[in-house]
Amino acid sequence: MRTPLLAAAGLAAAAALVLSGCTSGSSSAGGDSKPVRGGTLTYATGDAEPTCLDPHVGGNYPQALVASQYLEELVSKNRAGEIIPWLATSWKQSADGLTWTFSLKKNVSFTDGTAFDADAVVANIEHVKDPATLSSTGYLALGKVEKAEALDAHTVKIDLSSADSSLLDSLSMPWLAIESPTALKRSQAVNCESPVGTGPFEVTKWVKQQSVTMVRNAKYSSPPADAAHTSDAYLSKIVWRFIPDSASRYAALQSGQVDVIDNAQPDTLVAAAKSSQIKAIDAPRPGASDRLELNSSQAPFDDERVRQAFIIGIDVNAGIRSLFFGTAKRSYSLLSSVEKDGYSDKALFGVDTKKATALLDEAGWTKRDSSGYRTKDGKRLTVRFPVSTNQSIPAERSLFEQIQAEGKTLGFDVEISELDLSSWYGALAKHDYEIVSAPYTKVGPGVLDILYNSSSITPAPSGYFANNAQVNDPKLDALLKQAGEESDQAKRKALYVEAQKTVLSGYYVLPLYDQQNHYLYRTSVHGLRALPTVSTPTLYDTWLTK
Amino acid sequence: MTRRALAWLARRIIGAVVVLWAVATLIFFAIRLVPGDPAEAILGGPGSQASAASLALVRRQYGLDQPLVVQYLDQLGRLARGELGTSYSLKQSVASVLGAQLPPTLLLAAVSLIVAWLLAIAVAWWSSGGGRIANGLASTLEVVASAVPQFLLASVLIVVFAVQLEWLPPVSSGTPSGLVLPVITLAVPVAGFLGQVTRDSLLDASAAPFALSARARGEGPTGVFARHLLRHAALPGLALSGWAFGSLLSGAVVVESVFARPGLGRTLLDAVTLRDIPLVTGVALASALAYVTVVALGDLAETLVDPRASTPSEAAS
Repeated sequence: MRTPLLAAAGLAAAAALVLSGCTSGSSSAGGDSKPVRGGTLTYATGDAEPTCLDPHVGGNYPQALVASQYLEELVSKNRAGEIIPWLATSWKQSADGLTWTFSLKKNVSFTDGTAFDADAVVANIEHVKDPATLSSTGYLALGKVEKAEALDAHTVKIDLSSADSSLLDSLSMPWLAIESPTALKRSQAVNCESPVGTGPFEVTKWVKQQSVTMVRNAKYSSPPADAAHTSDAYLSKIVWRFIPDSASRYAALQSGQVDVIDNAQPDTLVAAAKSSQIKAIDAPRPGASDRLELNSSQAPFDDERVRQAFIIGIDVNAGIRSLFFGTAKRSYSLLSSVEKDGYSDKALFGVDTKKATALLDEAGWTKRDSSGYRTKDGKRLTVRFPVSTNQSIPAERSLFEQIQAEGKTLGFDVEISELDLSSWYGALAKHDYEIVSAPYTKVGPGVLDILYNSSSITPAPSGYFANNAQVNDPKLDALLKQAGEESDQAKRKALYVEAQKTVLSGYYVLPLYDQQNHYLYRTSVHGLRALPTVSTPTLYDTWLTK
Repeated sequence: MTRRALAWLARRIIGAVVVLWAVATLIFFAIRLVPGDPAEAILGGPGSQASAASLALVRRQYGLDQPLVVQYLDQLGRLARGELGTSYSLKQSVASVLGAQLPPTLLLAAVSLIVAWLLAIAVAWWSSGGGRIANGLASTLEVVASAVPQFLLASVLIVVFAVQLEWLPPVSSGTPSGLVLPVITLAVPVAGFLGQVTRDSLLDASAAPFALSARARGEGPTGVFARHLLRHAALPGLALSGWAFGSLLSGAVVVESVFARPGLGRTLLDAVTLRDIPLVTGVALASALAYVTVVALGDLAETLVDPRASTPSEAAS
């Protein structure tokens, strides 16, 4: 029986819930009740174990994943893909585009007590640009940055050698996160073990091959503009485990030994969809889509007709559907679906085997040898396809085998060789490939300049180059340069779209799907989301019910 | 120690040094035969195009700009002085990496070897008294056990005992319960193999005159098995224990990855992928040393179980 008192208490509780709902805002995962403070969340990653926890050193995705919990960037992005404030509150570009001025958040300090200020930003940019740091991703992104200078304690000026429309995109990436200048003065080995940031958690212990332990930063005060709350994090501790085997990782999630996993494989996603205790987040990485690039610098793909024949003669949709169990959507774009300047053209990729056959005949590949492969002047139509087993999941490797089988009916001898990462670089450096699938993650359409500018054909001293399709088109170079310097958003988009059309219509690339980034988590986990920058998870708004 | 035993020991040590030198040489050249640039790998790969300046710096820093022969002699010299160098990828001394990763793997391999022996003996004992049907059953079991791929076994064990029954953790948790599934995964195939040889010689022994006379004196089947037959039956298995230990070390690569355990196997896998030359060399040398030691211990155990067979000097020949 209901007494007035009980009813009043119920009303008060309901009001409290509504109020707390208001302050906590919307969260992508289960914002259904009041956040609970405390608890340890165990996260299991299937990515490689970083060799250094400071993402300035080197600069790959495993580093970005874990660093998102303890380091922060000057700017971030919202879900619509617009740049939003983080450690910087506002910014201004000079009329000539060569100078940027950033105003910084006040009263923020690093977890070692060092104040976050303009000098700290300067020290970080110098750290990334110092060759001794061995930065690669961050270094490349700061290519046009000449120097940074503190104008006052909370204002920093960045001078560029030429206008860079990608600067804000670059500064939103974890590889350019801001670290404590005091901590950066320690030896690299020490800084790799315990980098110091302004983030909601701090690294306390790293047991190699096992886990990184992070505890709550009680003084945290600098969430990005789109976070769901403003105080310190709810979780008191994160255990970041390395579980390379995907079946074991999922078993650990099922049994409750871990709370969140990444790199969930297609079969696991299908199984998880049937579970009432597990939820999923699909967070495609930005930058380039997963795609096949055809090496246009040597036979047979130096002939556009042969490239077109390969691209329109092979049906990949059926393979993607069956091997990825519907968890990956076919892409017709050079860029990830999260890139708002991406251009997609399905019409270029309609399967037409009749036309493909005609194109190959026209290109002179008219004869067939005893194995059924096409030949020209006694040479077989062979295309070599080195696959890096470290960068390609089993479902994708099966897809490549299907492409090989389809290629055979067309008369292509697709030679797949599965290689470890180093051997794969070696094959690319020696131009021992006609087809390659290479991932590339970078925020913003500026990635096109890295992948398709003819200057990226010139190999680094190691022999590695990013323009694997070896597109060499002065018109495209000019478009990319113009787009890279254009500060007007609409004009920049138009230029990048034009550039994408140029590459797509030259049949250099067969887009497949977004870079697969899937997280699975138990229903006891609330408020988990992927940052819209490079889709790394953030555990700042996350809390646990047990 | 007798002069003979000393000579045996000296020969063992010289043999071990030769093995270690061969391993170091083989690893050095093998890792360079495969295409790819360690400097590029040190800097993180294609997602992170390295600058020319960084690459040059890395080459200088790690001595990769020197001629191959110089690098080889340099490395041998350092190894001879006991310096294992610094891991490219972990930026830690190889000695400290081994110090952290060797114990979990040795523990895993040693416990697995003991469990494998216990399993093999249990099946042999059970089948020795059970006549033809038990024998056939045991034999089938052993063949299946020795042929089952570790990867498959591990997956089945995880699904059954961790996910369905929820008795044990699916991945290592640092507690003793986390050791159970990895040990079973490694022990079962080895037990199958040891069981096959053990039971064959057990059958021979049980028909031998000394077994008959023991039974004639009225000893029960358990007594005969424990006091007379086991000693005889264990000999070929003991001789194979060194080999078994080696296979356990290599099996650790799979098991450590599946159960997310730290250890040499996973270290080696990562080190090879990253072309981390000092670390690969260090792991290979440590495994070789462990292998050589266990083979010597196996020989020693054989002479203790069967003193009439050989003295240490003969065991080494």
